[in-house]
Amino acid sequence: MEKSFQNEIRKIAHKTFEVTCYMFALDEMEMDEESLISDHTTEETVSSLVTFQGAAEGGMVISADEELFDAIAANMLGIDVATEEEKEGALCEIANIICGNTVPLFAKDGNICIINPPKIIKNGELYSDGFEQFYEESFHVSLDEGTAYISIFYKRV
Amino acid sequence: MEINILVVDDSPIMRKMIIKTIRLCGLDIGQIFEAGDGKEALEKMQEHPVDLLLVDVNMPVMDGIEMLERVRHDPKRKTMPVFIISTESNPKRIEFIKSQGADFLHKPFTPEDLRGKILQIVEMQ
Repeated sequence: MEKSFQNEIRKIAHKTFEVTCYMFALDEMEMDEESLISDHTTEETVSSLVTFQGAAEGGMVISADEELFDAIAANMLGIDVATEEEKEGALCEIANIICGNTVPLFAKDGNICIINPPKIIKNGELYSDGFEQFYEESFHVSLDEGTAYISIFYKRV
Repeated sequence: MEINILVVDDSPIMRKMIIKTIRLCGLDIGQIFEAGDGKEALEKMQEHPVDLLLVDVNMPVMDGIEMLERVRHDPKRKTMPVFIISTESNPKRIEFIKSQGADFLHKPFTPEDLRGKILQIVEMQ
């Protein structure tokens, strides 16, 4: 049984959103995590995927609801309305920072993880393709400007 | 004295964010140049006078570590101030960065963190 990294990743996500986008975590509502995760896939969501290899192999997917997707870039750049390109770039950068701060959790005996550049995956793309045999953790992060959905797939090498 | 800065990051949004922070620092900033990877940055440095480098680590084509090594092999740039801005957490890699005479700023960072680092450099100049 793999150790759960959910609490550690949640803390990393909270700090990243707070420091980078001036967004603050809300008290988690009493919601069924599984239904929340499955529900969000039916919305018009945009996701960013960051893959990694080394001490562990896998990927992290961060999806943002529409409200959050619009707000991340605007807050990062201090502007009212961001372009679509800026919104996608901002989500990728957030994914890059959260994943980059997460992979040291897998490091062992000097074996580190190298992360690859993030990429955007649009609604409907099956990001879990290729991760079928991987251990998976999915959860959401409620923020004052929207909700982020985080999934991590990993296999220790 | 105005300082010219080169911001090297493959994320255009991060470059914009860094540049916005620099502009808000209240420092005497000259020109700010941008590059999306280490190779492009080295080319920009041939074309423009640069006093300070802000460099990401994980980038395509040429990463920040290789770029830093190349900068340090250039006799004219052996002591040029360099900040590596990255999510890098591996102590050995951070130690290597510092051994090359570069400072390190961990992502995520606050505007105050970046401002403080730049002020340190400007005061030392």
